[in-house]
Amino acid sequence: MGLKRDVSLSAGLRYKGPAGYLTYILHRIGGLGMAIFIAVHMLASFVGGRTGGFLNGIYENWAFQIFIFFCVLFHAINGLRITILDLWPKLLDYQTEAIWIEWAVFIPLFGISVFVIISTALGG
Amino acid sequence: MEVTVKIFRYNPEKDQRGNYVTYKVEADENDRVLDVLEFIKGKEDGTLSFRRSCAHGVCGSDAMRINGRNMLACKVLIRDIGANITVEPLLGLKIAKDLIVDMEPFFDNYKKVLPYFINDSALPEGGRERLQSPEDRARFDESTKCILCAACTTSCPSYWANGEYYGPAAIVTAHRFIFDSRDEAAGERLQILAETDGVARCHTAYNCTEACPREIKITKAIGEVKLAMITGKLD
Repeated sequence: MGLKRDVSLSAGLRYKGPAGYLTYILHRIGGLGMAIFIAVHMLASFVGGRTGGFLNGIYENWAFQIFIFFCVLFHAINGLRITILDLWPKLLDYQTEAIWIEWAVFIPLFGISVFVIISTALGG
Repeated sequence: MEVTVKIFRYNPEKDQRGNYVTYKVEADENDRVLDVLEFIKGKEDGTLSFRRSCAHGVCGSDAMRINGRNMLACKVLIRDIGANITVEPLLGLKIAKDLIVDMEPFFDNYKKVLPYFINDSALPEGGRERLQSPEDRARFDESTKCILCAACTTSCPSYWANGEYYGPAAIVTAHRFIFDSRDEAAGERLQILAETDGVARCHTAYNCTEACPREIKITKAIGEVKLAMITGKLD
């Protein structure tokens, strides 16, 4: 008797973890986003023709480009933080500060990129 | 002050699934969540089930999710979390009744890392103790504080996804022995932790460190074990 292990996605997302948990979730969304992008890209090249053109249109859309750039940039910067902390565990004393630095690097870079993508989309 | 407490309830003899019951009780702002639960059990509803023992943050019996985060009910004051409280059982373990979870899988994982002192060599000549310098003792001081409440392991998304993952508490215990200069089984433990369900499943979500009621820097301890595994050095 007894209820099974409650491991549903919604239960996990409702857990009120610290800042590191948010980066953990965004890291996974980033990975998933990149996998979707690569899959669409490969599929477009594979099928070609009208369907390929339609699929190309999806990832060439400026909104999708903003999303995919978020995925790539966040995944890269967060991965770098994790790698650095894994190689130098003593720095884990400054885990919270490391996350602040990560956001301080990510936000301006992403902001500039969004600006460039949107202005190119509107100008083009 | 009036406190509204929403508690997860589940009776295995009657219920197919859990539900939430809300209680409104009078409490002092300096009361702990455990005091409120005791009051509800004593005065409002005797069927409410939860674990507790020392009630002073030492035994680790009353770990539960309070307002969405793992804590010890005996260490949380009402004034620190407000008058609206939600109490739920730990995630990732089977719920036996109400706030009581089945801790067996947690202890099974704990046992896998050989959580005991191993030294088969002869005792030092003329002495009954294996002496250790204060510096060597300090090396693993942090990880001796673990009370096995499971707050860390059940806050870990890797553990939610895979109950076979040894989990933070087991790795902290392994750390306690791996970095003990008197112990001789560090290599064996590192080999165990190098397995698929070992430290590689830690993705530094950091939930464990925040959840630990003993303020053990768990992610750091896991990081040190990871590094020892890669370098083969215990420095």
